[in-house]
Amino acid sequence: MSTTPQQNADELAWPAPEKRRSIGKDTRRIDGPAKVTGMARYSHDVRLPGMVYARFVTCALPAAAIELDLTAALAVPGVVEVVRVVGDSTLYLGQPIAAVTAETPEAAAEGARAVAVTLTELPWAVTAEQSLAPDAPKVNPRGNIGRERTQEEGDIEAGFAASDAIVEATYTIPIQHHSCLETHGMVVDYRGGDSAVIHGSVQGTFALLDGPPDSLGLDASMVEGDVQHMGGGFGSKFGIGIEGKIACEIAKRLGRPVHLMMDRETEFHASGNRSGNSVTIKAGASKDGVIQALVADSNKLGGLSGGSYAGLPYVYSVANFSSTSRSVYTNTDGNRAFRAPGHPQASFGMESLIDELAYAIGKDLVEMRLANLPDDEQHSVWRRQLRRVADEIGWNEHPYKSAPGPHKVEGGREYVEGIGFGISVWGGGGYPSCEVEARVDREGSLIVSVGVQDLGTGSRTLVAMVAADEFGLEVHQVTARIGNTRFGNGVMSGGSVTTASLAPAVKDASNKMRAALIALVATNTGKDASALSFADGGVIVGDGLRVSWRDACALCPAGGLTTHGVFQKALQSSGVHGAQAARVRIDLVTGEVKVLKMVAIHDMGIALNPMAVRSQIQGAMVQAVSYALFEERLIDADLGIALNPNFESYRLANVHSIPEMTVIIDDEDGRGVIGIGEPPAIPGIGAIAGAIQNACGVRVRDMPLSPTKILIGLEELRRS
Amino acid sequence: MTDRTNQPPSPSSLSRRAFLKGGVVASLTGAAVAGPNGTESVSVTRESAIATSLKGKVAVTLEINGAARDVSVEPRTTLLGALRDHLEPALTGTKLVCDGGNCGACTVLIDGAPVASCMTLALDAVGHNIRTIEGLGKPDDLSVVQEAFCAEDGLMCGFCTPGFVMAITAELESNPRATLDELKNSCAGNLCRCGTYPQIFDAAVRAARGASK
Repeated sequence: MSTTPQQNADELAWPAPEKRRSIGKDTRRIDGPAKVTGMARYSHDVRLPGMVYARFVTCALPAAAIELDLTAALAVPGVVEVVRVVGDSTLYLGQPIAAVTAETPEAAAEGARAVAVTLTELPWAVTAEQSLAPDAPKVNPRGNIGRERTQEEGDIEAGFAASDAIVEATYTIPIQHHSCLETHGMVVDYRGGDSAVIHGSVQGTFALLDGPPDSLGLDASMVEGDVQHMGGGFGSKFGIGIEGKIACEIAKRLGRPVHLMMDRETEFHASGNRSGNSVTIKAGASKDGVIQALVADSNKLGGLSGGSYAGLPYVYSVANFSSTSRSVYTNTDGNRAFRAPGHPQASFGMESLIDELAYAIGKDLVEMRLANLPDDEQHSVWRRQLRRVADEIGWNEHPYKSAPGPHKVEGGREYVEGIGFGISVWGGGGYPSCEVEARVDREGSLIVSVGVQDLGTGSRTLVAMVAADEFGLEVHQVTARIGNTRFGNGVMSGGSVTTASLAPAVKDASNKMRAALIALVATNTGKDASALSFADGGVIVGDGLRVSWRDACALCPAGGLTTHGVFQKALQSSGVHGAQAARVRIDLVTGEVKVLKMVAIHDMGIALNPMAVRSQIQGAMVQAVSYALFEERLIDADLGIALNPNFESYRLANVHSIPEMTVIIDDEDGRGVIGIGEPPAIPGIGAIAGAIQNACGVRVRDMPLSPTKILIGLEELRRS
Repeated sequence: MTDRTNQPPSPSSLSRRAFLKGGVVASLTGAAVAGPNGTESVSVTRESAIATSLKGKVAVTLEINGAARDVSVEPRTTLLGALRDHLEPALTGTKLVCDGGNCGACTVLIDGAPVASCMTLALDAVGHNIRTIEGLGKPDDLSVVQEAFCAEDGLMCGFCTPGFVMAITAELESNPRATLDELKNSCAGNLCRCGTYPQIFDAAVRAARGASK
């Protein structure tokens, strides 16, 4: 029986802090036990009878005409089929050119090695310089430079005239890989017939219905998509990609289940990236710290795609500015969304510039920032947050506030410490998308279903928490079923919209169920429904009545009760701020950088699960350490070959890179829920770069901030 | 314009492991394996292993989580491949991530020591005691380390988690009073992209307290 009673449904609002029973409390992940025991089934782990394994062969050059001889590959024992998956020529380094399908992964790998590829090199460009050269090959038919965009305000000339110091600098940041531990791909369970199940490592469950039905030649209603667990997406897994399309085509041809998960090297080549950026800035400030003028010109380096850049002066308020950016195309795979697309790049340039201007006029780094954050409603949050992280990181006691520390070993002191800052902005609001079903049966089960996926952010747990809170039940008493297209629509996890889109719809479904159960009890007892409410433990009380959860549920009709919830705008909000500070230690002899401590403060309305929020923010800071110090995609500019498509030479932060971390969840401001996945990934790299200059005077303007670059900088300072 | 045939060899393709995975067994000596029909135990010398292996699959018995498991593998099959792709039913808790010994996601314990199962040939594991993530606790009966990961939120997407749990378990079994530095060193070969390291450290310390009781 499906009911959607409107009577008695309370006006939807999150309970006051003291009345929250599950939400707002540190809550363990409900899928934690499955994940720590290896029982959680990821797409990589799906094993099916008769399943074959497919693998790509990729192009070793940025552009080439392709000839394939498949004879030897087809002769490899266990190889089932080999197909060409590219036209006459390739457009990007590492582009898949053939797919080998075999009975075992080993045979697929051997088959891939046995594909005889003849590459006839075509002209290519893998760097901005090559792409912008007068005789550059056409990377993009419409030209190697994308549409230029300029934002302007005020009178720049007057601004420079009012400046006491002017800084000109170019800041560059390389292409970063998402490095999802579970590679892109899917398992297509198709065995002939008219239906299929697709297990995909995607960050939008319903993406599995976008393309596969056509590739399989099946009615969309006969295709089921499933994402029970997925091993990281970070923005790179919105669609099914070439890997999903090819997997479906193979399954269609063979009528057998196909496992096509990219090998690690292909993952590096062909699963997206964070675009690189180069920005040249000229800016002037007056002695009071106010930036009077800023002119910025940036190239976005997103391979075959346009790249992303948030633009300058980023979140600071500058009266006179001009910010221009354009895409420069190269023969490498296109960038994709990556945790706050375009923001870390813009933040790095802007925070670096502010530091350099501050030192030029002899201004305290925090005061300098405050001078460019007016005391209005929006900017005053950052003023407060910046002061808070400055206090927490030890700025007040720090010796180098308006001039950097020493670049020479003095008095035997080989180590010097510095501090840097960054601030962030993001949206994070929700929108109508999730359709949630709550269901109660006579045995007392409460099952909440919605197709949304959990990237590791804790969405599954959040579904159970929000529902449990409504009835005063324990979180583990709720069964949250997610990650399947048979359930109601779910939002894709991008733009930090999941929590703010999902939680209100879960609350809505639960609230309606609450009213339905109360109405049921009222009818059966002759009491007035308006006098009844849920106490802790799911007990219905009021008007002298006390009915346990089980007894109330036992009154349900045979088919149980079902309610449906949708987005409720009033339960969410949008627009968040954040500030972070980093303390680093520089070894003046070796140039080694150690990030000692990071402090973050972020606001997000109601933090539904503070433990998961802290994990998100700490994880973002770890990624910032990794990006700032280590990560860089390397391609030989002369030969056009990839130099580090593996975890041996593409370095990620590891256990020895991790600073002490303090996370401050900003005091609740009374707003509804807002997503927090992306904003904490923004300010860290600028803060770390600033801390290095603050420690020893070396401003590395080219990420990553390697010991070599710091040593060169130290040597230059010592000579000057 | 230049013509190039096939892909340039990458340095890693010259590694010992790639050499072995290509189909030549160089190190197997005297391991006891089950016969090709899976029933009869035979003693395999280096020479006979090569002779047998070049023909294709060999039926072996691996001791996994205290049980004898029969599985057919090729000489090139890694222990990780045997667990995930050849055992019936498969043990997929151990993850394939880098396929090159760089990330620790495939960590299993061999005779109590943590090893990268993607860098270990299945045949080399014959006759040894292999423990995988499935051999620790169950969801309703977690080991001390697993329970600590849940309590401290030492996981997000969870794909690196089995490897970290195995590495820390190995450390605490041999060194129950391990310090934080020792615990960090024990998983220094493990990578987590979600960035859960701080919580993993908290979990390791919590488990150490539980383990040394």
